[in-house]
Amino acid sequence: MSKSICVLPCNGLDKCAGDLSRRVALQLAQSEEVALICPVLLNQNRSRYEKDLEAGDLTVIDGCNTRCASKLAGDLEIAIKEKVNVSEVAKALNIKLGVEIREDEQTQTVVSAVLEKINSSAADQAASEFIEPESIDYNTFSHGKFIFKVPKANYYFNENDCWVTVSGNIARVGVSDYVQQNLSDILYVDPPEIGQEFEQFDDLGSIESGKAVFEIIAPASGTVVAVNTGLNDAPELVNESPYEKGWLVEVQLTDFAEDQDLLHDCPAYFEFLQRKVAEIDV
Amino acid sequence: MSESTFMGVERDRIDWSPRIDFTKCNDCMECVKFCPHQVFEVDENAKPKLKVKNPNNCVVFCRACSKTCGPDAITFPDKAKTTKMIKAIRKAEKEASTNE
Ligand code: SF4
Ligand code: SF4
Repeated sequence: MSKSICVLPCNGLDKCAGDLSRRVALQLAQSEEVALICPVLLNQNRSRYEKDLEAGDLTVIDGCNTRCASKLAGDLEIAIKEKVNVSEVAKALNIKLGVEIREDEQTQTVVSAVLEKINSSAADQAASEFIEPESIDYNTFSHGKFIFKVPKANYYFNENDCWVTVSGNIARVGVSDYVQQNLSDILYVDPPEIGQEFEQFDDLGSIESGKAVFEIIAPASGTVVAVNTGLNDAPELVNESPYEKGWLVEVQLTDFAEDQDLLHDCPAYFEFLQRKVAEIDV
Repeated sequence: MSESTFMGVERDRIDWSPRIDFTKCNDCMECVKFCPHQVFEVDENAKPKLKVKNPNNCVVFCRACSKTCGPDAITFPDKAKTTKMIKAIRKAEKEASTNE
């Protein structure tokens, strides 16, 4: 039977974080459903894993922020279903990994936490209270061979090209058409944790293409109530529908009236974007 | 590019750019590769090689390059304070323009 999950770990085996990635991967590989992918062999000859990658979703384990494993997947344009970063998990636990490889209680704690994160990622979330508008009208402008869309009303933008729109009791956050076009094919969406409280201009997860990583910068302050699980299987929705189906996070806003002071409404963002595109010359 | 602004406030009045801790920096230049805004400069003959050459090119509230930094050598000014300051400048300017 073919495997349904492929695990691609970090290759920094001579350092602590890489060694922990290896330990996590080996534990995961004990399951029948998991195929282990060696980053070196994958890089040399992708075809040897073609079957596994077709049959299964890819989980990436990065040792540190250099993110070699993610980058490798990005370079080969393999969609990442899930990923964890060992150093970030350790940091959240207040554990310093250092360089030396060690087998002790602390590193074991990190290994368990990473495993838990991988197993529990499908966190429960309540049914959405967001009322999707029936249709949205757009303004467009073109620059060279690019055409940019901005909704005509009801969306608010920060100058970091992230939007927020309110409907019902709840708001949604996403990225503008400009971000989507800049990144081109989006391969992975790294959502924030449900329940996380954040302030305006805090990080709210990231999205990633083969070209770059884009950090979502919160347009307003609030609490994460849901994430768009539809993007797990179809991150390309962010490309196809950045303002609607490709929304990223659902949030309960804290003080939108106050936050609006540092946001553009649709016509203002439309102008801002025209200026920006003209200046950068995409 | 002197007319660059953030929410109507001149960019050079906003203090936002990466701060490098050179005791941690290992010259990997990942941050330079990552940032598309020519914020950094590399001088192979200088010590340290890395320099924050154009701090005002940095996108206000962006912190993205710090995520690429393995040794965690990049920090930023306090976000809440920066936000407050921008709001205060905007308010003062609004008042000044209505008082004319
Ligand atoms: S990414 Fe970090 S370590 Fe590398 S050059 Fe930049 S500041 Fe230094
Ligand atoms: S924070 Fe963003 S814009 Fe500023 S230097 Fe880093 S990557 Fe460039």
